[in-house]
This record gives sequence, C-alpha cells and structure tokens, in this order.
Amino acid sequence: MTVQECYKRLGGDYGDVLRRLVQPQLVDGLMAMFLQDENFDRLCAGMQAGKREQAFRAAHTLKGVCQNLGFTTLFLSSEKLTDALRHGDEQVPPDAVCLWEAVQRDYQQATAAIRMYMASPARS
Amino acid sequence: MCKRKILIVDDSLLNRNLLSGMLQDAYEIVEAENGHQAIRILEKQAYSFSLILLDIVMPEMDGFEVMAYMNKCHWINDLPVIIISAETSQTSVNKAYDLGAVDFISRPFDAYIVQRRVKNTIALYEKQKRLAAIVADQIFERTKMYDQMVSILSQIVEFRNRESGLHVLHINLITEMLLQQVMKKTARYGLKPPDVRVISTASSLHDIGKIIIPDGILNKPGQLTAQEAAVVKTHSVEGALMLKRLSVYQNDPIISTAHDICRWHHERYDGTGYPDGLVGDDIPISAQVVSLADVYDALTSERCYKNAYSHQQAVGMIRRGECGAFNPLLLECLQEIGDKLEQRLQQPPIALKENRKLQRITEEVLQHRELSVPTEMLRQLKFEQLRADFFEGAANERTFVYRSNPPVLTLSRPSASLLGVREVVADPVHDEAIGRCAGASVEKWRRISHETSPESPEFTLDSGFTMDGREALCRCIGRVVWSAEEIPQYLGVVGVITQVENGGVCP
Repeated sequence: MTVQECYKRLGGDYGDVLRRLVQPQLVDGLMAMFLQDENFDRLCAGMQAGKREQAFRAAHTLKGVCQNLGFTTLFLSSEKLTDALRHGDEQVPPDAVCLWEAVQRDYQQATAAIRMYMASPARS
Repeated sequence: MCKRKILIVDDSLLNRNLLSGMLQDAYEIVEAENGHQAIRILEKQAYSFSLILLDIVMPEMDGFEVMAYMNKCHWINDLPVIIISAETSQTSVNKAYDLGAVDFISRPFDAYIVQRRVKNTIALYEKQKRLAAIVADQIFERTKMYDQMVSILSQIVEFRNRESGLHVLHINLITEMLLQQVMKKTARYGLKPPDVRVISTASSLHDIGKIIIPDGILNKPGQLTAQEAAVVKTHSVEGALMLKRLSVYQNDPIISTAHDICRWHHERYDGTGYPDGLVGDDIPISAQVVSLADVYDALTSERCYKNAYSHQQAVGMIRRGECGAFNPLLLECLQEIGDKLEQRLQQPPIALKENRKLQRITEEVLQHRELSVPTEMLRQLKFEQLRADFFEGAANERTFVYRSNPPVLTLSRPSASLLGVREVVADPVHDEAIGRCAGASVEKWRRISHETSPESPEFTLDSGFTMDGREALCRCIGRVVWSAEEIPQYLGVVGVITQVENGGVCP
C-alpha cells in the first residue's frame, strides 16, 4: 500500500498534505505518531464518564491534528463533535453521542489504513 | 551566528513535532505542553526567546492565561506571540489580539507560511528593538552634549565669580524640584515634564551676563559703590542680549528659556526688581523659579562675606520678604519640598549630577509612548538610579541587589560571606544554597517586598537564617524599586543585611 492509497482509504488528500508539509518523511513520522496519540482515548474516556470539558478538549485537539495531517473525513466528524461539546454545563449533551459514534467509526477506519500502510512493503 | 530561539506551546505532541519539523533547521526550538510549563520556562529566560507559538485550548493553563501573565510581566511588548490554535471563533480571535497576539497561523499548517510568518515577525521585532536602541542612544548623546556645553559655560561664569561650581548644580536641582511641585499643585502655568527639563538646564546660564562685568567690580572684597552696583545689575540684560545674538537658535527652547531667565531672574513679584520692574505673572515662571532658587542657594551657601544659613533660617528669611517678594505659590512649594531638598543638596556633587542625568533620560524616553520596546532599558535606568541613591556611602556594608526579571540576586562580598552563598545567584527563590541558609525566610521576604508600594517602598524584615549550621536572626532593610510607568512594576529590591544578636544589632 502506498501513502497515496492510505490517504484515499482514510478519506484525505495526500497531495495537499505534501504540498503543505513539504517533506514526505515528516508526514510519515507524524502518521506513525498519530497511532500513539492519546487524544482519541481521552475523548472516549471523557464521553463515557460524561465529562464535557475533558471530552471537548480531547475532541478539539484531535480535530486540530487531523486538520494538519489532512485526514479530512475524521477532521470533519471530530469538528462536528467539538462544536457540540463546546458549550454547556458539566454534562455531555445528549446530541453529542451520535456524533461521537461517527468519530469512532472514522477513527477506526483511519488507524486501520495507517497500520496497513505502516506494515506494507511499499513504504520506503 | 547562533540560532534564534522559539518556544512552542501546544498540548499535542504531534502538533509540536509538526511545527518543530518545519522550523528546526533555522531555529532552536524549546517546547512546552501547557501554559504552566511555558510560564516556568519564560520566568527563567523570557528574553532569550525571539518568538512564541502559542496554542489556546490546553489543560492546566490555557493560551489566554499565558498571554494575560505575559502582559502582567510586560513580556508581551518585547516578545511576539503567534497563535497556532485551531480555535478560530471570532470571540477567540478578538480576545487573542486584545491580549497582544501579533498574528494567527490558521490550520491546516503550511510549512512555507509558518516559516515566513515566523521569520517576518522576528525580523520586525528586532528591527524595532534596534531602532529603539538608536533613539535611546541619540537622546543620551544629545542630553550629554547639552549638559557638557551648558556646564562648560556655567563653569566659566562660576570661575570668574570665584565660586565653586556647586552653585549652578544647586540651582539646577532646586529649580527642577520647585517646578515639579508647581506641576503637582496647579495647571496654571501649563508645565509639562519636558518644560521642567528645559528650564532646569537653562537655569545654569542665569548668570552668564556676569562674564562682561569687570573683574575688579565682580570680585571686589568690600562694599560696592552705587555706581559699581549699577554695573553688576547690568548682567541680567547683558546675558539676555548675548543669547539674543545667537539668532540662529532663537527657536531652540533651551536658548529662548535661558534668555527669559537671564533677563528676568532679578525681577520681584511686587514689581520692585530689575531690569524691567515686571509684576506678578508677567515675569515668566521660569525666571520666577530660578530667582527663588538663586536666593535660596545664596542664603544656604557659605560666601566670603557670610556664613551659610540653615534651611529653616533661609526659608524664614525668604517668607518674611527679606530678599524681596516672591510668588506665594512658589513659597508654598519651597516649604513643601523642604526636607527632601535639604537632603538632596547634601549629596556629593558627582552623584547629584549623574543621578539627575539618568532621571532626565528616563523621563524623556518615557515621552515616546510609541516606542514600546525600550521599556526594559528604562527599567534598567530607573534601577541604576535608585541603586546609586541607595548605595551612597554604603560601599563596605552587607548589601544586596535583587532584580526580578530575570531573577538575579547580587550580594556584596560581606553579605555573601555572612550568608555563605555565592555573590551572584540566578533564580534565588529556587536556589539550593539560598534555601539552605534562608529557608522559609525567602517566601516571607518575597511577600513583604511585594506588599510595598512606590509611595512607601521600604520594608524591614527580621527572620531566621542558618549560617555555618547555627541559627541566627538577621535583619533585612530593603527598598523595592518600582518603575516610573503609569502602572508601577516591581523591578527588584536593593537592601542591607544586618545580623541581630542578643537583641542588639551588630553591623
């Protein structure tokens, strides 16, 4: 699997990312780092515990990272979730839950694609 | 050339790596993962950084709080902040700009744009710093040149008068202090700080007309005849004419003020003076003030024909009209500045002069509000000025100087050996040796010194120290240096340490 194919699978535009970040090895390193990034776990923990503030911060960071890495699909769903979590009291608002489910789905898809790419011999 | 240093503050490791990946070839990168860490790094070395890339939404302490703190410490003026947050709502953007952010880099990050913005911002700030330094240098040079020329001229006159040269310095100082008091009390004369500076410099020239009075009359030991006295009296008009002849410089504020002072510093408020018999405020305020200063200094100085009167005696004589009538407002001012004036006049002449020069430069630079950058330099000047005051005659004492930004404690050799620490201690609040010797006293000292104010900057603190493993009680008498800005900033402390034993104080 090439990096272009990986981006296609996770719903992103590699051409745009490479144009912005210039160095392919920087993109590669950041993709590997994305698998280690704890913000998704933090988001899930926040959602499960019903802590809005924690969930908001994690979703916000996840959104920002995806935007920088050009993971368009996950960026869009995490942006919606971030906006749903932005205001309110301590509790997670009920309409955020289905948005969270979309984020989970897109995250699994993205990380699966990256893992496949990382494991593939086409990666130089 | 060493690389410029950039602080990247973002809670996401991935974002930090992304940015340092773009910038590490050209810059030295330091990273912080939340606001607290950023502040801790800045407290140690704020001025070693050329730029901060700051995220907004972060745990522990967010980007807004970091900028608020940077405002409080005045770092924001010298250290540009670029926001790198994904937070792009109108309110957040406005708030960040209001707090002093220079720019926003929006997501997704683009290496070229990030590199250009960083480079441009750093270049802009450095250019401004260079320009500010040039302006400050020029002001310093100009002030120095003026001072030199004016002192040469006035020294010539003094020398001919067989006077010590102190008279001119005293007139400068008395004039300045009187005018400052006038400014506090009334807007009647429309005086501004630059006017005070001009009048006090010009006051040095009040007697230049005496240069043309024949030596035989000027320095005649006995009583002058009526005719000789009339010749001496011409010095006011002659001095004014000399300045009038400098036609090229008629618009120069110092020359035109000096003209007024020369001509009218022997006028009296009730119209009984000379040469023109002007009455009341027809006499320019500059000349009124200098004439009072002249009389006061003549009374309180020793002359070949008389002893020096005390401050109290002199003020009494002037108030009773023994030296002619003066503006009642000025008499009030003289009364009010009495104690401070008496004390300042007793300082050795060198200190008198250097001190005033520093003060004047500080004030002048403060006028240029558009120059945000020299703040730090101004504070240094202010600090030097107070330090000079404080250490007057205390060279061998156990003294110390603490500067808050960056935090450095400098101890005189006797103090360092008393406490058993180094003479220069960086970041003393967290220093181990200081901690061993001062313990909880450090926090007490910090708290008490912060509770002072520019109006009463002194404090005294008795507290326990451990020296050579023994407990001892020390007394620290300190004076906090507050900046001369509108909102005074805590710049540091100068002080002396004495050891208190058996209830007595042994220096």
